[in-house]
Amino acid sequence: MKNVVIAGYTRSPFHLANKGELTRVRPDDLAAAVVKSLLEKTGVDGAEIEDLIVGCAFPEGEQGFNVAKLIGMIAGLPKSVAGTTVNRFCGSSMQAIHMAAGAIRMNAGEAFIAAGIESMTRVPMMGFNPMPNPALAQVEPGAYMSMGITAENLSKKFGISRAEQEAYAALSHRKAAQAQAEGRFEAEITPITVPGGKVVSKDGCIRPDTTAETLSTLKPAFDATGTVTAGTSSPLTDGASATLICSEDFARAHGLKVLAKIRAIAVAGCDATIMGYGPVPASKKALDRAGITVKDLDIIESNEAFAVQSMTVARELGFDPEKVNIDGGAIALGHPLGATGARITGKAASLLQREGKALALSTQCIGGGQGIATILEAV
Amino acid sequence: MEIKSCAVIGAGVMGSGIAAHIANAGIPVFLLDIVPNAVKEQGGDRSVVAKTAIEKMLKTDPAPFMHKKAASLVTPGNIEDDLAKLADVDWIIEAVLENPQIKHDLYKKLDAVRKPGSVVSSNTSTIPLNILLQGQSEQFAQDFCITHFFNPPRYMRLLEIVKGPQTRAEALDTVARFCDVVLGKGVVACKDTPGFIANRIGTYFMQAAVNEAIDGGLTVEEADAISGKPMGLPKTGTFGLIDLVGLDLMPLISKSLLSTLPQDDDYRRIFRENPLAMKMIAEGYTGRKGKGGFYRQTKLPDGKRVREAIDLKTGEYRKQQRASLDSANARGLRALVESPDKGGQYAWRVLSQSLTYAADLVPQIADTVAAVDEAMRLGYNWKFGPFEMIDQLGTGWFAEKLKAEGKPVPHMVEVAAGRPFYRVEAGTLEFLGTDGAYRPVVRPEGVLLLSDIKRASKPVAKNGSASLWDIGDGVLCLEFTSKMNALDPDIMAMLRKAIGIIGDGKSGPFKALVIHNEAPNFSVGANLGLALFAINIGMYPQVEQSIAEGQETYKALKFAPFPSVAAPSGMALGGGCEILLHSAAVQAHAELYAGLVEVGVGVLPGWGGCKELVLRHTANKKRPGGPMPPLAAAFEAISTAKVAKSAFEARDMLILRGHDGITFNRDRLLADAKKKALDMVAAGYTAPEPVEIRLPGPAAKAALELAVEGFALQGKATPHDVVVSKAVATVLSGGDTDITRVMTEDDLFALEREQFLALTKTTGTIERIEHMLETGKPLRN
Repeated sequence: MKNVVIAGYTRSPFHLANKGELTRVRPDDLAAAVVKSLLEKTGVDGAEIEDLIVGCAFPEGEQGFNVAKLIGMIAGLPKSVAGTTVNRFCGSSMQAIHMAAGAIRMNAGEAFIAAGIESMTRVPMMGFNPMPNPALAQVEPGAYMSMGITAENLSKKFGISRAEQEAYAALSHRKAAQAQAEGRFEAEITPITVPGGKVVSKDGCIRPDTTAETLSTLKPAFDATGTVTAGTSSPLTDGASATLICSEDFARAHGLKVLAKIRAIAVAGCDATIMGYGPVPASKKALDRAGITVKDLDIIESNEAFAVQSMTVARELGFDPEKVNIDGGAIALGHPLGATGARITGKAASLLQREGKALALSTQCIGGGQGIATILEAV
Repeated sequence: MEIKSCAVIGAGVMGSGIAAHIANAGIPVFLLDIVPNAVKEQGGDRSVVAKTAIEKMLKTDPAPFMHKKAASLVTPGNIEDDLAKLADVDWIIEAVLENPQIKHDLYKKLDAVRKPGSVVSSNTSTIPLNILLQGQSEQFAQDFCITHFFNPPRYMRLLEIVKGPQTRAEALDTVARFCDVVLGKGVVACKDTPGFIANRIGTYFMQAAVNEAIDGGLTVEEADAISGKPMGLPKTGTFGLIDLVGLDLMPLISKSLLSTLPQDDDYRRIFRENPLAMKMIAEGYTGRKGKGGFYRQTKLPDGKRVREAIDLKTGEYRKQQRASLDSANARGLRALVESPDKGGQYAWRVLSQSLTYAADLVPQIADTVAAVDEAMRLGYNWKFGPFEMIDQLGTGWFAEKLKAEGKPVPHMVEVAAGRPFYRVEAGTLEFLGTDGAYRPVVRPEGVLLLSDIKRASKPVAKNGSASLWDIGDGVLCLEFTSKMNALDPDIMAMLRKAIGIIGDGKSGPFKALVIHNEAPNFSVGANLGLALFAINIGMYPQVEQSIAEGQETYKALKFAPFPSVAAPSGMALGGGCEILLHSAAVQAHAELYAGLVEVGVGVLPGWGGCKELVLRHTANKKRPGGPMPPLAAAFEAISTAKVAKSAFEARDMLILRGHDGITFNRDRLLADAKKKALDMVAAGYTAPEPVEIRLPGPAAKAALELAVEGFALQGKATPHDVVVSKAVATVLSGGDTDITRVMTEDDLFALEREQFLALTKTTGTIERIEHMLETGKPLRN
């Protein structure tokens, strides 16, 4: 069987929705800039790409139609490249990577771009036309539950206090701020030219001066009697990400720099009212399939939808905190839904390279009650 | 010349407020101020003063801007780099420090860059025009006048205009007309005398009111209980008003008046430096903007808030007391000053001096008594000007009483010789001239007042809550006359009667309807007392009947074969807003406060408000696609009882449509509405076709309910908010309909009735109505 590798990763800077630097950029343009940059960075000829797979959690409006194919056109990919848009909410672009990996193993192509996009400014969360099934809403309260409430449920179920969440969130900002100050994001970020000509090359969500004390003054955001605040939630974010997924043979033949091999993948469902728990069963499956245990992991990118969510996953799986989100997580960097999966998987792969480590896990929770996980291995 | 662009120099409170209001009217305006020394020395944004002023105004409440977008018409700059930009400006307003030297230097610079024929005016309130013009060119003097705005410029209607001996008539007319028509101000011509009209008389009044309170041993609460509403003055009363204006401002105004008033002016006699006020200012008690004033609110250790007032004798704060004076309930000014208690005596002492002072100032400060009265009404929000007040006392009675007290009778009261200052002759309002002859009050062209029509004619029809008036040219006017213009069955009956009288608009004497009144508020909504009465005794069929009757009436208005134009000013809430939504067009006063606020009393818009907002948002071409965005927009407006705080915001909320008009000057509203109605007749008006709509039904309701439950968890919605919001969601989503089914306007009316009625059966709603009737405030249950 063919080995599947990640041979390239880049992303746009991530900025706060509705007030950051990317609010005026169309999501298809944003993703196209990142896709174009990926090809330039890796040196791969666009004609070699089988399919452009784009994850997007709310594929409507400016990220509607089949936005993947349209992004390919804007990015100047040859007409021969196909395009498909995939939705697994927050797991969308990790799913894009999994689909590429599966296709390569099926001998259905050698090279894919697995990307993700979300402008939470220009297409609101829930979309423009939320129309839930009234009967399902009655019988399955989690089906359409606000993500914040699922976070509150985790806080109750696993007894994680507000102060603990705030310490965790402040640490995420501190790690991200330090990484930014030391230029550790520069290699992965594709600068974006926004309307008006300004070039945006730095992340915009990180607040270096955030402390547990400043967070303690915020009001609960979802439940007036709850523990979760805007400060312990990932912010609404605009951003795009892209990875080059190909067979190991293709990478060797084209002289590509391989970041990591994809060793195992998994998805798993869970109770929707605690959707943030999803990474636990998904990661367990992936670890089993890779034949390793959590102790074997050197690098962990565990998405921070909420502090309490990421903390639950870490506790339940027994993560070593020193190995988790070493450059900060989504609470500090931002969480442009459809773009996050390719970011954390691409990031985990590049960290294996940068840190000279062997095994990595990227995992995230998914609204509606799911988790998704990927095990990577240094080559 | 027509004014198409303006500039304001000086970005203080007045200058920036004037610039904002010019922008409100859609006119581009430069706002320039100095380059601060710190910026000159250390670098930075050289226009920081003007920019900061604009940013601050965007956060000020009440808002200087009628719409946030208006701010983009104000271009900030500084007087060192940007004066050349004024070369194309038609009107330059100077609102810099009240220092003649600074103004002189600025005028020379302006004169060098301005275009020939442009007008320059000063917003000075203290410096005489002849001093302002010292050392200026002949040409400058011809193009110069004083335009004195009142604070805040958007909300205060008075504009005092002063011409100099050399001012070109055309320059003065151009500015006066612009301020009247475009900015909506009541322009009053004043002589070049200290304090012009309003501040001259207003300052005297306040000094007299403070003096007499201290001398007569009244508490601040007692003085304010008399020198407010009973006199037809703002309900704050004198001390409350000083708190609002700022205690520290009062000595400044006095000082400037004293420096320029004639030597024998009576203000010099009554002026006193108030040691208590000076002490308060020194300690930071400058009024509402400071730590407090004559009144303050303090927090007790247990967190409760308590209102306190200053004891005028001891200078210490104590708990606020409710004044109990019989005189405060006196009916009419004469009864007030004749009340035997200390309140009545206080009223007489204050009014006898102030009215005497005012009546001695014509023609010294203005040509007519009417100008003085108008200035006090518009500039100080007096319900009646001083001469109108003397008329209420009786000029003869007033003269006799002064004589009996051995006091001099003022000049104009002598001229009146027992006759009133105003009379109605052959239906026309006339005022007494300085020569003792009556002259008609002439309204400017384009001004039509319902009050003038009412003086000159009899109503076409009338009942306890509404009247119909013939306003000429075949236009009928419906006027509400109920308390607060609350809508009741009589108003509905009169509206149906108007529709009947006009008929097809062709065969009878009338061809169009205007709905207008001159009360402060167009209508605050349905009469809740009536509704509560019916609900309390379980007369639900009657409640439903009154909803149905309103719906039928508004439907008849919407589909009438003739055009109807609603011309609202002030508040148009609930049912008052629904009338706007069912009129063929709206000509709105710019100061319109409109919204569907029914949820505040636990019900929903039942006279077609839900229906119209859904239809309008659905038809809105600028909205995102799909069935939900229009419902979400209507739901947000109704479930949060959102009120537009200007006609421009009402346009954003689709309460006004593209073809609806906005009038800045209240006095021009009726004429503009009538013209709009006649234009629609001339264009061959036909009734609109009933609209059919497809709504998503339960799916949309589920989505809206999920949002409401989220708000409830966040603590933003109360338990009964959830109940009411779900009823609103049911109506807006079309009830049990399906997206494939076509619904009519009547189907939506039926849903409104059903859900309205269901809400009136909940205790939460009954509690809300009771609370509103008792306290005037919404209950958050």
